[in-house]
Amino acid sequence: MDSSRDGSRRAPSFTLRCGREPPVSLERFGGQPIVLALCTGPLATSWRGDVALERGAVRDDDGLGAVRAELRGLGAVLLLVFDDGALCFGPEDEAWSIGPGDARDAADRAAMRARYGVSPGATGLFVIDGERRLRFSYIEVAPRNGTLHTIAGALSATGHIDMSRFTLSRRELVVSSLAAAFALTLIEAPVRAAAPAPAVEVAPGEVEVTLQINGTARRLRVDPRATLLDALRERLGMTGTKKGCDQGQCGACTVLVGGRRVNACLTLAVMAEGAPITTIEGLAGGPALHPLQTAFIACDGFQCGYCTSGQIMSAAGLLAEGHAQTDDEVREQMSGNICRCGAYPNIVAAIQKARKEL
Amino acid sequence: MRGFRYLRAVDPAAALQAAGTPGAAFIGGGTTLIDLMKLGVESPETLIDVNHVDPGAAIEDLPDGGLRIAAGARNSDVAYHSSVRARFPALSEALLAGASPQLRNMATVGGNLMQRTRCAYFRDVAVGECNKRAPGSGCAAQGGWTRMHAILGGSPRCIAAHPSDMCVAMVALDAVVHTQGPRGARQIAIADFHTLPADHPEIETALEHGELITHVTLPAAPFASRSGYVKVRDRAAFAFALASAAVAVDLHAGRMRAVRVALGGVATKPWRSREAEAVLVGQPARRSSFEHAAAAALRGADVRPDNEFKVKLAQRALVRALETVVGR
Repeated sequence: MDSSRDGSRRAPSFTLRCGREPPVSLERFGGQPIVLALCTGPLATSWRGDVALERGAVRDDDGLGAVRAELRGLGAVLLLVFDDGALCFGPEDEAWSIGPGDARDAADRAAMRARYGVSPGATGLFVIDGERRLRFSYIEVAPRNGTLHTIAGALSATGHIDMSRFTLSRRELVVSSLAAAFALTLIEAPVRAAAPAPAVEVAPGEVEVTLQINGTARRLRVDPRATLLDALRERLGMTGTKKGCDQGQCGACTVLVGGRRVNACLTLAVMAEGAPITTIEGLAGGPALHPLQTAFIACDGFQCGYCTSGQIMSAAGLLAEGHAQTDDEVREQMSGNICRCGAYPNIVAAIQKARKEL
Repeated sequence: MRGFRYLRAVDPAAALQAAGTPGAAFIGGGTTLIDLMKLGVESPETLIDVNHVDPGAAIEDLPDGGLRIAAGARNSDVAYHSSVRARFPALSEALLAGASPQLRNMATVGGNLMQRTRCAYFRDVAVGECNKRAPGSGCAAQGGWTRMHAILGGSPRCIAAHPSDMCVAMVALDAVVHTQGPRGARQIAIADFHTLPADHPEIETALEHGELITHVTLPAAPFASRSGYVKVRDRAAFAFALASAAVAVDLHAGRMRAVRVALGGVATKPWRSREAEAVLVGQPARRSSFEHAAAAALRGADVRPDNEFKVKLAQRALVRALETVVGR
């Protein structure tokens, strides 16, 4: 196994001729990033023989659909080269096949493998950026099965990286994300696979997530098991959101995700990615208190205070939803928040006060 | 919680492909699954996030007067949808009677169909006997504390009550569950979707491994708009049903031409009572008919000292539900 993330190396040029069509080469794809996989075995068996090779309509049940789904929107080209032909998927999901062709075409493929240092029987995976630099390379001499699933997994991890918050150009970001994702997925995989069988709990690797919390993108690596609540409190130091029952029954962990109140203890951090999250720390949106906070103080809507941030965030959701007018309706709509001190009458009063003011 | 691999599916095809993996589970709102994973009751090896397979997760009126609800639609969105409130009110009422506002914002229709029992023995991994959690291990509820357990549809192997409110309303509205699976698409009538425990309490639905619920349709039945849900519980809000009833009545000149009766909180699956329906059809809509129907609905009840009260409670909930909808 050999891998590198050397940013300076030029990607070897190649040409894959295919009948009367223009040849497939580095130049053909303009400045688009390319994910290049040099696979072993014939195209037909790799795809279980049921590939309908029509432009834009490739069927498969071997991971290709997942790869294409992940690539869609990334703006990258996927080129898969097999022993007897090649498949190419453009950034708009257009697809075309190359080969098998004649001896000349087979020579093209052999020359390409040689230039990329992928010996017969080995597989190679490469990420090439828009400047034709080789940004990631991975060669496996004794390939395992499931190359496409591996690619899909890596691409899926790339999809988790929010592109909107960075100043890098989008393509640069795509390339570095792809490279990082492949590196993580492929290089770490054998290490993990070598661990003993999971008789006891093993953590199958962390994932990178970007959470949009109170208007700020916060990037962190979390175990997939981490709840949004634990990510906020234990990883980001945002302890305003409280842990009560940790099973969705008390409401102390209420935050807004996408403007809707939810239980952060039953939300996986990875699943909260992309949506704007508002916690008690960000509710006011400035130095002045939010009207709900003012009303809770004015009405004495708490005693020990432990449930209060959840109560206030739930009330913020209640007001946004607009389904509660009467005290009874407020009580029903606040039923997901428990107060062991029994401050309920004052909580209802505070919410009604804020509702009328807002 | 056991570790798992997290995959985010961007379309149903990707979800189905990933679902072929042994030990894979779909996750929607996660309100049941994450809870059970924390308890150690569920331990999927792979979680397939299906919240992005259907970006709109829409609720759509169908040309024939029916309704199509995407599997990813949130309970709160369904409950407050104008078509649901106007034409399928039992569904709105059932959803709003369930859980808390936070959980209703999270929970999906597909997930609610797959909701698992609140049986305390099932949820506690320190209890060795649970045929649902560990097939063949026994049933601690038999001879145990059964106040929350089922009195209809049980077997010597399991008497766990089905917890969903939504599903009870869907039974009364003749809902159809639409799925995509390894063998293609299919439609399952809601009454056939959940299975009785019998000898295999660990099997709860007609779904095969890897089959994905894509949407639910509600037909434009003549009884749908005169439907309602009555739920009786230990607290005024945020509690599971001790007994509940969803009813739908096609009322014509004071007589019931078509009726649907479903019970919740008292059975091992969302319980359609064809016995009660048979008593009601063709009868005038009055209390005596409702009481006869309620008696018929609970005739087969298998009670224990702890849950004997559920017979009368369910009967009265059913009578109340019928009185309410015919009085509208």
